[in-house]
Amino acid sequence: MKKILLLGIGNSGRADDGLGWLFLDEIEKRYPGIFAIEYRYQLQVEDAELIRHYDSVLFIDATQEKIPEGCAIRPCESSGSFYYSSHLQSPEAIVYLAEELYGRVPDANTLHICGYDWELGNRPLQAALENLNRALKLFHDTFFEIAVPASQEHKSEPVTL
Amino acid sequence: MSRTITIDPVTRVEGHGRVTIHLDDQGKVDESFFHIVEFRGFERFIQGHPYWQAPNLVQRLCGICPVSHHLAAAKAIDQIVGIDPENLSPLATKLRKLLHYAQIFQSHALHFFYLASPDLLFGMDAPPEKRNVVAVAAENRDLAVKGITMRKFGQELIKALAGKKIHGTLAVPGGVYKTFKKKDRDYFLNGNEIPNIETMIEWSQAMVEFMKNYHAGNREFLDEFAAFPSGHLGTVKPDGALELYDGRLRAIDSEGKITLADVHSDDYAEYFLEAVARWSYMKFPYLKNMGRKKGWNRVGPMARLNICDYIPTPLAEKARLEYFAFAGKTVVNSTMYSHWARLIETLHCAEVINVLLHDPDILGEDDLVREGRYRQKGIGIIEAPRGTLTHHYEVDDKGMITRCNLIVSTTHNNDAMNEAVKWVANKVISKKDTITEGMLNQVEVAIRAYDPCLSCATQALGKMPLKAELYDHEGNLIREIIKN
Repeated sequence: MKKILLLGIGNSGRADDGLGWLFLDEIEKRYPGIFAIEYRYQLQVEDAELIRHYDSVLFIDATQEKIPEGCAIRPCESSGSFYYSSHLQSPEAIVYLAEELYGRVPDANTLHICGYDWELGNRPLQAALENLNRALKLFHDTFFEIAVPASQEHKSEPVTL
Repeated sequence: MSRTITIDPVTRVEGHGRVTIHLDDQGKVDESFFHIVEFRGFERFIQGHPYWQAPNLVQRLCGICPVSHHLAAAKAIDQIVGIDPENLSPLATKLRKLLHYAQIFQSHALHFFYLASPDLLFGMDAPPEKRNVVAVAAENRDLAVKGITMRKFGQELIKALAGKKIHGTLAVPGGVYKTFKKKDRDYFLNGNEIPNIETMIEWSQAMVEFMKNYHAGNREFLDEFAAFPSGHLGTVKPDGALELYDGRLRAIDSEGKITLADVHSDDYAEYFLEAVARWSYMKFPYLKNMGRKKGWNRVGPMARLNICDYIPTPLAEKARLEYFAFAGKTVVNSTMYSHWARLIETLHCAEVINVLLHDPDILGEDDLVREGRYRQKGIGIIEAPRGTLTHHYEVDDKGMITRCNLIVSTTHNNDAMNEAVKWVANKVISKKDTITEGMLNQVEVAIRAYDPCLSCATQALGKMPLKAELYDHEGNLIREIIKN
């Protein structure tokens, strides 16, 4: 079986910015032990070292982008573009660094979940939670089906948060 | 025509700052400021919470040095439950120290490899797209891999002790909540899964050698860039040895004369005051008896090497002696030596971690927490990666926090960073017809040497816009640079 890493980015104290972490919480409940899971406030350079140990990595983050379906999985292409801050890297830069430093790049994708509220608060908006539910279904129907043999599949349940 | 140059935000520092340089109609620098415009609020926010929550709540000040806040607060809260540092159990003290030195080790590695090395490897006139760790990775793979691995080692050790790499918990009032397991310890000693502590020492030594060699080829730059006299502050053991976890406050002036003589942390408020400025949210601490203008001190690695009599680990002490021999001085006032001092401290931390990992006490099962007589005031002072960090709490008879005062390391360096900006403005930008991006970068290089953590210093919330602006003397925007 493939070694798969799910890397959730966000901040549970910032309303919809917590979607990436909530996604991981839900995956852990539904598919215990199948995926390696890591929570991040922000991606950092050393995550390049982490992802090289996996066959496949999915970066999950809330997005301000307006996606009609409420979420999207996209391929994550290696890119040397670098953000100005030390502690805020893009998934593309992490993939680039893994390639440059360790010569190994896992199959990388990003899962974007639409959010709307980024102020202080413990709970995402209901609309954002609905997008989370869609993201879980999308993950199951696409990424999960490819990544995990059929014999290990689990049913996707509605989110109750 | 007079102009104002704004660098907003300053890059490759933790948090966001803004620099404005005001030129008169001759193009000469009139004034310069390093503004911190983030919101400050933790000191107020924490009031009304029970004292035992403080060590965990204050970690949220920062994602880079949460351990320092955790431990400084824990030391203060220990006093509220009646336990002074010398009365903490040896097990608790050693585990906390291990956590603390792991934190400094990984933070210094982050600063040198991720933030500072592009300045040193590529020079200040390198194009902006090259001045970052991705370019370091592309051109110096070995250095980048070592940097990442050293940071990982420190973070893994933090995780093993506190449960998480960021915002974990080890300290509780009067001690620690768990001990260290043999299998955890062996992970860092046997080298099977990650390079072991011996390798960390070896690599730290190599980095110090790198700086020595860099000095040989760039002496004038290191000696003169943003060099200015100032006081220096840090903590030492009673015998004058460098002490990062629990020492006495010592300050010296720019020539080495003692200005604060090994004062107990409980008495800090008798000696320090904090000033404010209308153009910055960051405070300006200074020594009361020397006044606002002369009483400010630099803190952090360079200051700590200046104020201590020796480093109590052999390899770092040897490196310290070479550092001062190369500098040709007994007190270094040259900003860029901060990078060198930081690497010597990195080596010191690796040596201390090695000693602690081999100490059987850290595997003890008993005497995790002690309790004494309840008090209503607690003060914890620690040497954080960026310098002297003070947490002071007062509580009511129900144990609710009624007052909190934080003097965060970066605020001590507030005046120093403003001096550094002024130095660059006067030496590099003043009277120049054209202001290049490389010139502006030199302002950032000077600030970056202090490894400022602006989020900590202001207890910030939110994020800043990303732009540089140039105004004429009438306030008209004549140039704007978007930096991301």
